[in-house]
Amino acid sequence: MRRKITLALLILACFLLQCSVFCFFEIASVVPNILLILTISFGFMQGKKEGLLVGFFSGLLIDLFYGIGSVLGVYALIYMYLGFFSGFFCKVYFDEDVKVPMVMIAGSDLIYNTAVYLFLFLLRGKLNYFAYLRSVVLPELVYTVLVTIVLYRIFYRINKYLVKKEARGKMALWLRNY
Amino acid sequence: MGAFNKGKEMRKKFKINLKSKHLIVIMTIVALSMILLTLSSQSVAAPVRNAAGYVVVPFQNGINAVGKWLTAQADSLRDVKELAQENAQLKAKVDELTMQNNLLLQSQTELDRLEKLYELSSEYSQYNMVGAEVISKDPGNWYSTFVINKGTRDGLAVDMNVLADGGLVGIITEVGDNWATVRSVIDDTSNVSAMVANTSDHCVVTGNLLKMNEGKIDFTQLTYEEGKVQEGDAIVTSNVSEKFQTGLLIGYISDMQLDSNNLTTSGTIIPSVDFRHLREVLIITDLKQSKEEQE
Repeated sequence: MRRKITLALLILACFLLQCSVFCFFEIASVVPNILLILTISFGFMQGKKEGLLVGFFSGLLIDLFYGIGSVLGVYALIYMYLGFFSGFFCKVYFDEDVKVPMVMIAGSDLIYNTAVYLFLFLLRGKLNYFAYLRSVVLPELVYTVLVTIVLYRIFYRINKYLVKKEARGKMALWLRNY
Repeated sequence: MGAFNKGKEMRKKFKINLKSKHLIVIMTIVALSMILLTLSSQSVAAPVRNAAGYVVVPFQNGINAVGKWLTAQADSLRDVKELAQENAQLKAKVDELTMQNNLLLQSQTELDRLEKLYELSSEYSQYNMVGAEVISKDPGNWYSTFVINKGTRDGLAVDMNVLADGGLVGIITEVGDNWATVRSVIDDTSNVSAMVANTSDHCVVTGNLLKMNEGKIDFTQLTYEEGKVQEGDAIVTSNVSEKFQTGLLIGYISDMQLDSNNLTTSGTIIPSVDFRHLREVLIITDLKQSKEEQE
């Protein structure tokens, strides 16, 4: 329960950061994809199940306010699968080392933006992928990875705290029952 | 106590049984059915969107207020520091401006343009308008949409036109009780039917993501009589547009060239609105369609 509330608050906080706070700190008119950092980090730390759930609800929040053509569920689907696949790397997970998540978030950001390009720009006959790569995808990727360095550590601490609390709760139950 | 434990064990078993691969299948079905459902009728999601608005918008309003306060503080600090410096600079500038002023007075064309602008802005006053603040921006970098802090409670509806700095900003695409999403004219998916202000030659204005950093948008399909339209001419929304009110200023032609078909002209426009620093906007609460229907 504690985890669910914490994750819900984290998703809300990241959405607000991305949409309302970071537009004050636009660099080259690009905003980092903070909800993606959240999704990938939790998929990576806690596995596929949590990754896909965090991704689903993050994407849903974007859909509610910025849905493509008023359709609900497109971003939810994309974020969910990214969170799910980051869960496959859960076993590689070590400590507070930020390098692996940085590489993973860079990869996911590239996949995410390429998917957006394919569905929303290529289908409208905008063929110049490399121009978009240079002006939109790469700046966002670099900015997102830089923000990851700070945010991943925070998410790591929060997760560690939650795991500790959960372990303590389980132990108390175990003591009570037997 | 035993029953309680049994229940707990069963729940535990259930949890273990629901593996991630099953969960992803279930959630994919949920997401896909949501897409299909909202594709067929968009009103289904309206209550959910509304509820989400009540949770998120107050936070965004708060952040916006803090942001405004911070920029105001920064401005006032800077003012104190630079006051003396500015004073000296201003004195030097007075001479410069006096000269420039003379030049401006002589420039009849400039005056004409200003007069035209004045007519445009006085035209706006015939509409009912509501002011609103921009509280959040699109989370990605592919679109130029933003959310404002007024909604159906203040009489807003989908397809209402949004203005700022005396020019067209965009159109409302979604609306909740206390918020509305606006798609700006610089958005890559935006298409506005427009015309040249003084000759009424029609064209289509589209956003272009690749030119966004230069602060320009595209126009295409312009046909005009030789020599009648030139760079610097004002482009306004057209009378044949379905959703945009007639005569809202979009911007000024920056450059233009003949298309390869030798019939139409395309080029770029510099929008009259500063989209980078958009904080307050005005919404025209008259809809073009309903107005015509009433008449």
